[in-house]
Amino acid sequence: MRENAVEVKDLVKVFGDIKALDGLSFQVREGEIYGLIGPNGAGKTTALRIIATLIKPTSGSARVFGLDVVRDSPKVRRIISYLPEEAGAYKNLSGWEYLKFMANFYSEKGGVEAMVEEAAEISGLGERLRDKVKTYSKGMTRRLLIARALMTKPKLAILDEPTSGLDVVHAIHVRKVIKEYVRKHGVTVLLSSHNMLEVEFLCDRIALINKGKILVEGSPGEVKSRYGADNLEEAFMEATRLG
Amino acid sequence: MASGLGNIVAKEIKEMFRDPKILLGIVLMPLIIFPVMGAAMNVSQTAVEESMKKVPLALLDLDRGPMAENLILTLRALNVTLVEIEGGNVSEALERLQGSNVTTLVVIPPGFSRNLTSGVRGELEVYSIIEGLSFSEGAKASVATAPIDAYERILVRRTLEEAFPDRPPEVVLDPISLRSIIVFKGKRVEAPPGALMGVFMSQSFGFPMLIMLMLISAMQVAATSISIEKEEKTLETLLTLPVGRLSILTGKLAGSVVVAVAGTLTALIGINYYTTSIFGSVPVEGLDLEALGLVLSSPAYILLGVMMFMTIVSALALAICVAAFSENVRSAQSLVAPLNILIVIPSIILMFADVEILPFPVQVVMYLIPYTHSIIAAKAAFAGDYFIMLRSIAYLSAFTAFILYVTAKIFTTERIIAARVSFRWLKRKRGRS
Repeated sequence: MRENAVEVKDLVKVFGDIKALDGLSFQVREGEIYGLIGPNGAGKTTALRIIATLIKPTSGSARVFGLDVVRDSPKVRRIISYLPEEAGAYKNLSGWEYLKFMANFYSEKGGVEAMVEEAAEISGLGERLRDKVKTYSKGMTRRLLIARALMTKPKLAILDEPTSGLDVVHAIHVRKVIKEYVRKHGVTVLLSSHNMLEVEFLCDRIALINKGKILVEGSPGEVKSRYGADNLEEAFMEATRLG
Repeated sequence: MASGLGNIVAKEIKEMFRDPKILLGIVLMPLIIFPVMGAAMNVSQTAVEESMKKVPLALLDLDRGPMAENLILTLRALNVTLVEIEGGNVSEALERLQGSNVTTLVVIPPGFSRNLTSGVRGELEVYSIIEGLSFSEGAKASVATAPIDAYERILVRRTLEEAFPDRPPEVVLDPISLRSIIVFKGKRVEAPPGALMGVFMSQSFGFPMLIMLMLISAMQVAATSISIEKEEKTLETLLTLPVGRLSILTGKLAGSVVVAVAGTLTALIGINYYTTSIFGSVPVEGLDLEALGLVLSSPAYILLGVMMFMTIVSALALAICVAAFSENVRSAQSLVAPLNILIVIPSIILMFADVEILPFPVQVVMYLIPYTHSIIAAKAAFAGDYFIMLRSIAYLSAFTAFILYVTAKIFTTERIIAARVSFRWLKRKRGRS
């Protein structure tokens, strides 16, 4: 039996008066693409930030390949790669320099140059990698960041809204890259998204989440059939209506 | 971890030196602004001197006597351009000068020659036509004074030669010769006390000014280095990389220190150029500083360097600590700005006084501020007081260690992501009033 890549159990996170997560529990199997789907403020980003070791849970636990995200955070950071929503890159560095800077942190894995070459191929930015990041469009920056997140072949890639704000051309490129890379290298992906089309195209399993709780979990087909919906948007509306 | 730290330091330096605001504002600007200021001052000073040379002097001779004639001849011999006005009275002469480039009128009243030859004071009238309030206008007003003074000295000398033919006029005029000897910490050097005061002034004003200038801009750089990570949304990624948060903090600090040191060096070069171009023409009275023990010894130089380095590190650590609570560059700069008080207050107070003469509660406050120790140590370096220097370095080091510890704590918690300084209560208060 394969080990679970992520195990989240009864996760609660409180910010002042706001309960962002209210007993969230789910598992992500190794090698699958798992999507957290929900409206703004549902708690998707908070859950991803806890798993990425950025913030600590108020209660409950999260484990990545058996490592506790609070207790073993330095070890977790070695095997994950996190792409925040609306993340930026260092504007005064060139694309090459940015990738090299990031790859250097994983030099113990060896082959910094190989990682950068891999990222160059994933990004598809070609000669533009020689230009400074400040000259890039939003789509180009996102492609650079996706390439950065995947080039280290992490055991778990955590992608928060990977195609948020991108036009159709860039969004399709990013989705294709994620799907192909995961199949090729067996990377596990945990992502969040608003885009139901994207979720259906990418994810093996999804969890619909609202007000910090999971409403329903399963493959996109299972979720649709549970609510007798034609698409995930209808299923989501039905799930939130029923609570 | 070391490779992570080195990686961050290299990236910080690369990024900062490529940022036009930092490169131009902190590193290159002192090399441009100070020489330009010096050149501007020189140009205006030269222009005033040149304009004074060319300013003609109008002269109305109502005396027509031999001494008046003698005065006119002397002024011509002194290369003064004279415009002699023939006939009329003072009002008519001034009227004639209206609209011309002659702005000074010297009037020799009737009886000038008779008074001088009969042992009574002669009287001259100088009318200055002022059209503006600039320095050059003020200088024009005094254009007649120098040649008239010169003429007066010639008259005195002549009178003394006639009265005391066997003595040099200088001995009659200035019979006592004064030798001024400075005794400083038991060492004697022949020089006027004013010369030593000049050295003390440069220490009292120069070092506080330098430290103030250096820290204020360096703190903004350090605050920007952390807040820009938040503004550009790169910090979250950085914090999930396999690198210790203390390495991130130290890397940022080291990058800022390199920029601050580069900025200080260019500021020193710029200030040096500025001061030499301004005061270069002014003769400095010779003072053997070495004989007075006022030249920095090698240990003092080293300790001064250590102290300056610790001052920079502590200020930058403080700026990074405070900027960790900001949301973006602008809010970071607003948060760091009040810290300037910690630098400005001791700098200004210590320009005019030593800590020991202040009231006790003020002394306590002053000693708590780390930058007081920077200035005290800089002054102590010249006096060769190594104990005070070491004490200052120890305090600055302890302060820096404390700030680094607090900042590292912030970096290791989620406060670095979630911490925000809220001004909402202030807005609410304003809204109510």
